Amino acid sequence: MKLNTMAAVMSFISDLETRTASFYDAAGEKHPGLADTCRARAKENRSFEKQVRQTYYGIITDTLESNYCFEGLDSDDYGLNLDPPSSVETVEGRFSEVEKTCQAFYVKAAELSDGLMADLPRLFKRIAKKRASRL
Amino acid sequence: MSVPKLKNYIDGEWVESSSTEVVELRNPALDEIIGHAPMSTRDETNAAVEAAAAAYADWRTTPPVSRSRYLHRLIPLMEENFDELARVQTVEHGKTIDESRGETRRGIEMLEVAAGMPSLMMGYNLEDIAVGIDEYAINQPLGVFSCIAPFNFPFMVPLWFLPFAVAAGNTFVVKSSPRTPMSQVALFKLFDEVGFPPGVVNLVGGAETAANALMDHPLMQGVTFVGSTAVARAVYERCGKNGKRCLAQGGAKNFVVIMPDAPLEQSMVSLTAAFFGNSGQRCLSAANVLVVGDDKAYQRFVDLFVAAAKNIRVGNGLDESVQMGPMQNAASKDRVIGYIEKGLAQGATLALDGRKLLNFDDSLPDRCFLGPTVFENVTPDMTIAQEEIFGPVAGISRVGGLDEAIDIIHQNPYGNAASIFTASGKDARKFQYEVVVGNVGVNVGIVAPMAFFPFGGRKNSFFGVVHGQGRDVVRFFTEPKIVISRWF
Repeated sequence: MKLNTMAAVMSFISDLETRTASFYDAAGEKHPGLADTCRARAKENRSFEKQVRQTYYGIITDTLESNYCFEGLDSDDYGLNLDPPSSVETVEGRFSEVEKTCQAFYVKAAELSDGLMADLPRLFKRIAKKRASRL
Repeated sequence: MSVPKLKNYIDGEWVESSSTEVVELRNPALDEIIGHAPMSTRDETNAAVEAAAAAYADWRTTPPVSRSRYLHRLIPLMEENFDELARVQTVEHGKTIDESRGETRRGIEMLEVAAGMPSLMMGYNLEDIAVGIDEYAINQPLGVFSCIAPFNFPFMVPLWFLPFAVAAGNTFVVKSSPRTPMSQVALFKLFDEVGFPPGVVNLVGGAETAANALMDHPLMQGVTFVGSTAVARAVYERCGKNGKRCLAQGGAKNFVVIMPDAPLEQSMVSLTAAFFGNSGQRCLSAANVLVVGDDKAYQRFVDLFVAAAKNIRVGNGLDESVQMGPMQNAASKDRVIGYIEKGLAQGATLALDGRKLLNFDDSLPDRCFLGPTVFENVTPDMTIAQEEIFGPVAGISRVGGLDEAIDIIHQNPYGNAASIFTASGKDARKFQYEVVVGNVGVNVGIVAPMAFFPFGGRKNSFFGVVHGQGRDVVRFFTEPKIVISRWF
């Protein structure tokens, strides 16, 4: 699905961060050795969602450019397998896949909206950087 | 689904109107009835003014800092209800959900600025204007003010005025638009929750009868209005005859000048939003493009602009992938189609015909929908170049240079906004310096002033002395009293 408006991007981010947080919750339960890491990541993902929502609602004004800021962004390019990793050997690879996909999304969203929407591209870049630090 | 019959909010109570004239409200995207709006009578409107007048004495003596705290309490409530406030605007008007969120945010910004009233309304003084004599200017509120609201920004426009008026110590009556009254009802529910003293803020739904009652009531101190030029002029005249203050913002025909060095690719988002945002139903919408340059530059602009316009997804504003909603009602659509036909009859050519919906969700009833429309070969004398269409229609003309572009803008009777797209600081400065409009954009398509700046407007786009928003509107809602004192 095309994510051509800020409203659509917001909904996608809400879904992305909620689902990836649940993914880490489930992974932490399944692999107790990783529980602390997973709990911290799930918490941070929910915080990412909140930060984006607050920033979006804080900057959107009636200049209306938000309807046209994300031409070329498509949710189909950021599909995720969020089934909990079955064995401890596959955990690292699965975590890495999820983070790379999320990072790629935020990098692209920042690039497309750069110079058009105050604060949001900066926040997207910051979240992309935090995702990269998890790799 | 039950369809609400809207009530008035008078003297701190929700009261049913006794009017037999009731307007059916429809969601323009779905063509469904969403409410019934009684058109308040003169007596009902007078009751609102009288409640506001009765509340004035106590409200005026409430310290400015305490009055501002009502706004401070309202802001978090509006944030909490942000999505619902935006949804109501989309449902009754048709605009996209992002546009409604933008309108909500701008409305909240008004409160944030008006909440600074203890600083904004400070007077000034000078000691020793003569030996032992001091002079003060004290800004005082005046009494009851009102807003006659437009349909196109049903939530935000009353907030250009009301928060400033009440924070300054006045009381207020909003007359909502008969076409889009639900956004104000949603807002007044929050006013009620905050607990403004009865009579400080009042809402009546209605049309001409209610508007005339506001302008004629002897206790009304001043009227603010946003709408078409014809009505703005009539409101200004009536208020003048009745000795009221008046601030009336009228229609527009806004020009965009594209210079040969314009950064076109980077500007296309801004231009698309300027012409087609809110389906062109805004007084800051761009309408005419004047392209300076040779054949190649002209064609490059047309190709990029038409491609961007063609790409706009049209549909129900609650669908987050939609970039342009419907016209607010079927009559508006018919009026815009009339202009398109007139443009063709007068010799303009269509590069994109919005009467054929391209990028549209066919499952929707098309009663109120129009696509983006782009005309070429538009000359300044054509009706479509002169008159306000108030729809998603752009007219492109070629001009020889910046001087000619400015001349064409000056021939137009309106003067709300104009923009230039260029890489030249020299051209931008010349444009900004010379063009006779209230709001100027430099590489910006929609020149919407923030809450702390006045909303400009010249020629037939504005009737009054001081403007809405910012310090101007504080001046509108207060009167300086001069005190000269000496003590022996």
